Amino acid sequence: MTRTATIRQTRGDPCKDWTLEVSGIAKNYGATCALRNASLRLRPGKVHALLGENGAGKSTLVKIVVGAIQPDRGRIALNGVPTRFAGVRQAIAAGVIPIYQHLSLFPHLSVLENLSAFAIAGAAGLRAGPSLVPRATARAWLDAVGLGCDLDLPVERLSVGERQLVEIARGLGQRCTLLVLDEPTAALTHDETDRLFGVVRRLCAEGTAVLFISHKFDEIEALADDVTVLRDGVAVIDAEPLASLSRAELVRAMLGDMVESGDRALPQPGGPVLTATGLRLGPADTAADITVRAGEIVGLAGLVGSGALELAAALAGARPVAAGTLAVRGEALPPGDRARAVAAGVGYVPADRHAEGLFGPLAALQNASSSTVALFSRGGLLRPGGEAAALMPWLRRLNLHPFQPERPAAGFSGGNQQKLLLSRNLAVPDLRVLVVLEPTRGVDIAARETIHDALVEAAGRGVSVIVASSDLDEVMALSHRILVVRHGSLDGELPRGTGRAALMDRLAGRRAA
Amino acid sequence: MMALTGARPRRFSGRLNPPAAAWVVLLLFCVFALAVPRFASAGNLENLLRVGSILGIAACGQTIVLILGGIEFSFGASAALASVVTVLALPSAGVAGGFAAGAASVLLVGLVNGTLVARFSLPPFLVTLGMLMVAGGGAAVLAGGLPIDAPPSDAFSWPARGRVAGIPVPILAAAASFALLHLLLAHTRAGRLWYLVGANGTAARLSGITVWRSVLAGYLLAGAFCALAAVILTSRVASGQPGLAPNLPFETIAACAVGGIPLAGGQGRAVQTLCGVLVIAMLNNAVVLLNLPVAYQQLMIAAVILGAVILQRAPLLLLLLPVRPARQLEEDRS
Repeated sequence: MTRTATIRQTRGDPCKDWTLEVSGIAKNYGATCALRNASLRLRPGKVHALLGENGAGKSTLVKIVVGAIQPDRGRIALNGVPTRFAGVRQAIAAGVIPIYQHLSLFPHLSVLENLSAFAIAGAAGLRAGPSLVPRATARAWLDAVGLGCDLDLPVERLSVGERQLVEIARGLGQRCTLLVLDEPTAALTHDETDRLFGVVRRLCAEGTAVLFISHKFDEIEALADDVTVLRDGVAVIDAEPLASLSRAELVRAMLGDMVESGDRALPQPGGPVLTATGLRLGPADTAADITVRAGEIVGLAGLVGSGALELAAALAGARPVAAGTLAVRGEALPPGDRARAVAAGVGYVPADRHAEGLFGPLAALQNASSSTVALFSRGGLLRPGGEAAALMPWLRRLNLHPFQPERPAAGFSGGNQQKLLLSRNLAVPDLRVLVVLEPTRGVDIAARETIHDALVEAAGRGVSVIVASSDLDEVMALSHRILVVRHGSLDGELPRGTGRAALMDRLAGRRAA
Repeated sequence: MMALTGARPRRFSGRLNPPAAAWVVLLLFCVFALAVPRFASAGNLENLLRVGSILGIAACGQTIVLILGGIEFSFGASAALASVVTVLALPSAGVAGGFAAGAASVLLVGLVNGTLVARFSLPPFLVTLGMLMVAGGGAAVLAGGLPIDAPPSDAFSWPARGRVAGIPVPILAAAASFALLHLLLAHTRAGRLWYLVGANGTAARLSGITVWRSVLAGYLLAGAFCALAAVILTSRVASGQPGLAPNLPFETIAACAVGGIPLAGGQGRAVQTLCGVLVIAMLNNAVVLLNLPVAYQQLMIAAVILGAVILQRAPLLLLLLPVRPARQLEEDRS
């Protein structure tokens, strides 16, 4: 890691090389490890881009920087002084100003009142009256961001871009040393984005450091000086100059280049099983036609926000669609109806296993059997032992660990929770289609191998398997063919054996000449 | 912390391993037997159970709703409505017809609750609170604002005062209700679906469960339990009263909470409700025996309810109670 070190003489203190220096940060949520070893070093007067796929730990790191949560381990230094913020208010007082994706303004209050929000929040108890910022000061703040609006206008009457500028203006009033912009352009028009970038560049010229979180490569290249890339809670690119890195290198850093045995033997596909015709997620999306054959594993790959997960969910009947039809072996299936889909033998493992998959307080066995309750009940009564007989073989086969089927699902590790969701579907009688989203996200290597084996084995039984994953190695290792998803629809197909680089190029929207 | 509260194992299998509340029941019984004169006499215990049976039957319904992740506030008002409808229907429909009409009115309230919650995804808190007012208001309008007496008859008082094989009918009805609740929860498909829907409605839908049907069935059955309670209550008071049992929903919720059923949904067993009901029934009874002023009665009951709930949640005290799986869980984690 070579960096052209420009030792900056900031107020005569050589320690103040970095505005913000964060190193060795770890953060766990229960059994889930969000950050393992994250670092972030921001130079004064520079825009620093933070990149990473969903789940890489970006938002956790940002929350730590702005004082919203506390790290388990690691050190934070602001202008060379070791710091630990007890809360967002303390961070703001120290000059770390967060601008969120979801605006934190009060829509019914006036611009002036919004600009005064930090001052009001800082006032103690009922002692002082509403401490509004003097109008002249407020005006000066707005001028600094090039906003000439009426101070008494309710914020809800401003455009989204103007509101964002109000938020930045509010931050500037706080002796801003570090501005944190979390996906600030998500809701902005092109012109508003340009205006925002102009303001950011002007702030940088005055010595403010800016942390810029975005998924849009064009914006990052236009604005950022340095870059840090997080993957699985680790900084894989640590504060390197953006100019020294290509876009492909960044994508590779984000997605990882762990080499996996791409030579897993896949079964020979049979006749068509699942057909989707004219499928549109939203009314503006391009229609997609997808056919999956028996014993075939089809990968759906796309960058974050591409719609790959949503498209896969739609194929399982797990979400409504704007248009299109689904059929399993020629029999029509109403989209968005999971009850009918399960009856037709369509299994589904959702991406967010806690919110959409698990019954946390219920026993593992009952989690595994939720799609097949009818199978082991007769006349409305549960057959004694029927549940265990139907599900235990699957739990054993997937090597549930610890093997305690009566233990609540919440007490298992991520990998074993995933095995429960997989058993739930594998136990469905006459399973024809299995749609799996993020099959191994947050799962250890051993469980990952078990889960991959189980998917290939299911395909070997003639099940059509659809794997949508942001883990490219996984998609490449498992799929007969890979469907590229961009902007909510299909953007071509790649055969098995396609190289990693070619796949990444396609995901980023570049076609081989 | 997580291991002790969030992931505390609560089984709903057929096994009757005693809930923590069973120890509260035992403790309270011993204390009262020693400290309260006449408490442990056979006559008093029978009276205690007979009075507590109405709460018990209604609490069975509340248990289902709580497992579904909902809450039911309209029980008291619908029982009042039932009493008024029953007495008004007596002259034309006879005793059996009158009770049937009263029970039907409770079922109707349950049907409306279930439909609004299940089909329109409205919050159970607001729906049942609204139906509390609808049913209470309806009862007041029907009765003309004042209680109406039922003409005394043996048939009319049988549900509350009759005996079968020497055992009071309300106690038999409560026993049957708890047996039915246990059967429903532990051994039927419908019961299993309630747990799944209550624990995670989205996951239940994605598993292929028709969530609304399960929710509607739950509220209807809860209404059926409440209807049975209403019949016995009406028979006992021998009149139609628009303000009959204003505390019934809160006492049923308290009973479930004392039994250790979390309001978050997805958990709860019949035996837990039974323990909670026994605690509250014993308290009510002891307070009457001690001849305490009404205000003290309420305070004492409140103290025991809160105490029982805290006792079950406090991690330190939990270690004294037989919850071996919880500790095992922690060991496995480390």
